[in-house]
Amino acid sequence: MIFDVAARSLAGKQVLIPVEELLGNCSGSRMPEVDPAFLNFESARDAVDSCPTSALRFETQENGRYLVLDYGDCTGCGNCINAGHGALRPAARLVPCGVARPALARRWNVDTGEELAPEIAEADRAAEQIRALLGRALNIRQVDAGSCNGCEAEISALTNPYYDLERFGIHFVASPKHADMLLVTGPVTRNMEGALRRTYEAMPSPGLVIAAGTCGCSGGIFAGSYAVAGSVSQVIPVDSYIPGCPPTPAMLLTGILQSLNRMTRKGGLGGAKE
Amino acid sequence: MVSSRSNRDAGVAEAQALLKMGNSRLVSLFGSIDDFGATFVHYLVDVDSREYRHFCEQVGHAIPSAVSITPAAAWYERELHDLYGVAIEGHPNLQPLVFHEDWPDHLHPRLKGTVRGEYRFLKVQGEGVCEVPVGPVHAGIIEPGHFRFSVVGDTVLHLELRHFYTHKGIEARFEGIDVSNGVMLAESVSGDNCFAHAVAYSQAVENAFGLSVPPRGRALRLIGLELERMLAHIADVGALCGDVAFVVPAAYTARLKESLLLASASLVGTRYWRSLCRPGGMVRNITDEKLRELGTRVAETATEFAELAKMVLETPSVLNRFESTGVLKREVARALGVVGPAARASGLRLDVRRDHPYGRYRTLALHVPHFNSGDVLGRARIRIEEVSVSAHLIADAIREIPSGAIAAAVPWQSSAQGFSAVESPRGELLYFLHIREGRIQRCHIKSPSFQNWPALPMSMPGNIIADFPLINKSFNLSYSGCDR
Repeated sequence: MIFDVAARSLAGKQVLIPVEELLGNCSGSRMPEVDPAFLNFESARDAVDSCPTSALRFETQENGRYLVLDYGDCTGCGNCINAGHGALRPAARLVPCGVARPALARRWNVDTGEELAPEIAEADRAAEQIRALLGRALNIRQVDAGSCNGCEAEISALTNPYYDLERFGIHFVASPKHADMLLVTGPVTRNMEGALRRTYEAMPSPGLVIAAGTCGCSGGIFAGSYAVAGSVSQVIPVDSYIPGCPPTPAMLLTGILQSLNRMTRKGGLGGAKE
Repeated sequence: MVSSRSNRDAGVAEAQALLKMGNSRLVSLFGSIDDFGATFVHYLVDVDSREYRHFCEQVGHAIPSAVSITPAAAWYERELHDLYGVAIEGHPNLQPLVFHEDWPDHLHPRLKGTVRGEYRFLKVQGEGVCEVPVGPVHAGIIEPGHFRFSVVGDTVLHLELRHFYTHKGIEARFEGIDVSNGVMLAESVSGDNCFAHAVAYSQAVENAFGLSVPPRGRALRLIGLELERMLAHIADVGALCGDVAFVVPAAYTARLKESLLLASASLVGTRYWRSLCRPGGMVRNITDEKLRELGTRVAETATEFAELAKMVLETPSVLNRFESTGVLKREVARALGVVGPAARASGLRLDVRRDHPYGRYRTLALHVPHFNSGDVLGRARIRIEEVSVSAHLIADAIREIPSGAIAAAVPWQSSAQGFSAVESPRGELLYFLHIREGRIQRCHIKSPSFQNWPALPMSMPGNIIADFPLINKSFNLSYSGCDR
């Protein structure tokens, strides 16, 4: 009975995943990345042609042709991996999470395979002030502004014994009035637009806003629908973005910590293990 | 077994006559508009739990309401009225369902007319009655919706739902896209049941084109569908424990669920089996070796869960909260056309896998558990038993895994019409598709959540408001799946 359950649970194996294994990990997210060894114009063209969203596209710059992969538009459908002759493969690490909107896009030179250094957005002064104020505790209010609930399932997983978000001093709270951060998912529907605005206004200042999931980043596959008002940033100001359809718990955690610039203590994204 | 009646004059009358007979059930009711602007109304009716019948009629202005024949028609007719402008004669409460007050007046998805968004809640009057509004933004990590309680003290007299906050216009989104791209949209109708949606959509394409999925593809789909059911049911039982403040099993089940998600991520490359199903079969193979590894993890999880669930059901403080709470009576469940675990907990033995078998289920004798209590306990026990059934189905499928192809060739540029249902973790999920030259003209999604939401308020009167989260969780309906 009640004590048997507790005893059984205590006897179970320890499953907590160490932080260095989580940060930057996007296993199981279906997000693609470029394998420079197989990148050429033909493979890139076939991959771009297979992309049902605008996540993959060509861009011509002064010093050459680039293949752009904008994770903010990517649903992880896998078409490019199937069609791209090896030029795209499932990403295991280093998908940008918890960064400014332009930094969600990565660019590879189609002819040399070299990746263009990512654009580093200048940190907003208000955001820095919040980071300094928040210290080691963070209260998050999650708002579903119209998502398919895929993101909610993964956000809920953050509190399970594998990820245990509370070990970082991060809690989900019941009211925006208790929150330092809004974690917003979904394309913002017309029926949720007003409620999202009111929730944002109820959060005390200073506060951060993260748009999570491909729909939150760009409206995703619902952008342009009669029932959708737009992406999160078209309705309230957004500080950083976490892509993914849905983002895995590891990506969400990376994004939340990256948004707070906490990861620098461990040597930055993906640097902890090296 | 599927038959189709397209009668341009009397489809509605025929469908309603059939619904008057005791052995039929309204599956869905929806509209469509053809190239010439003519509006059609479609009825899908299940006869004897054995045969789906499709009726279709072109309509001019008004159709008679079917609510007096089957209350299950009430929301469908309101949606038809909102989205297709079809007037419904004799509907008892034809208030807007999809559009809310803030919706722009001029922005109707299909018609030139204006949008009506004002809504009036039923006013319960009497001494000591007060209203408690909850939502759309809730306290937990859940989807948005509005609940309006009328209470006296702690006791709920009436609950009214206002949903469609997550209405994304998904059915309209399907229109005009290539058949091959439809899976991606289907997977985002209700994310936690994404594989069931992907399979239902793909089967509708396969039925329309008369395709047969190769045996290995059918087996892989069964494994994905049953794994999704296990994940959903394990999480639901854990959440029910969490709602009665029994946090240890809540954390325990969260661990069991995550262990299966991690196994899928490492063996299949996707946590929730997204991007794996496509019309014709599966996108890529899963090796026998990986399937055996997955099978081992599934069996271990099922054993652990069964032991945990037994302990939970033997805990008096749990039974005290679950038993006789949120009772959905059999007659009410039948009248509202309730499906899935909620139906089976109220004595209705409905399961698409057995009644309208598809894929690998055609060759199986399926055990369908059912209970008659209709309370939270019944809905919890249904899920507990079904986890075990699913684990056995997965084990059998892996042990007998056929070799060979995983997908059939698809005539991507063809034209056809078809529909198909699957038993999703929440119940009967059906896709209706009209395809022309490889593009989707109309896609209707019959969602088990749309069907079951009206039943939740019927199980509330007499319960205390503090039990609402528990009762709501015991139905565990999808908001996005309902709102689409």
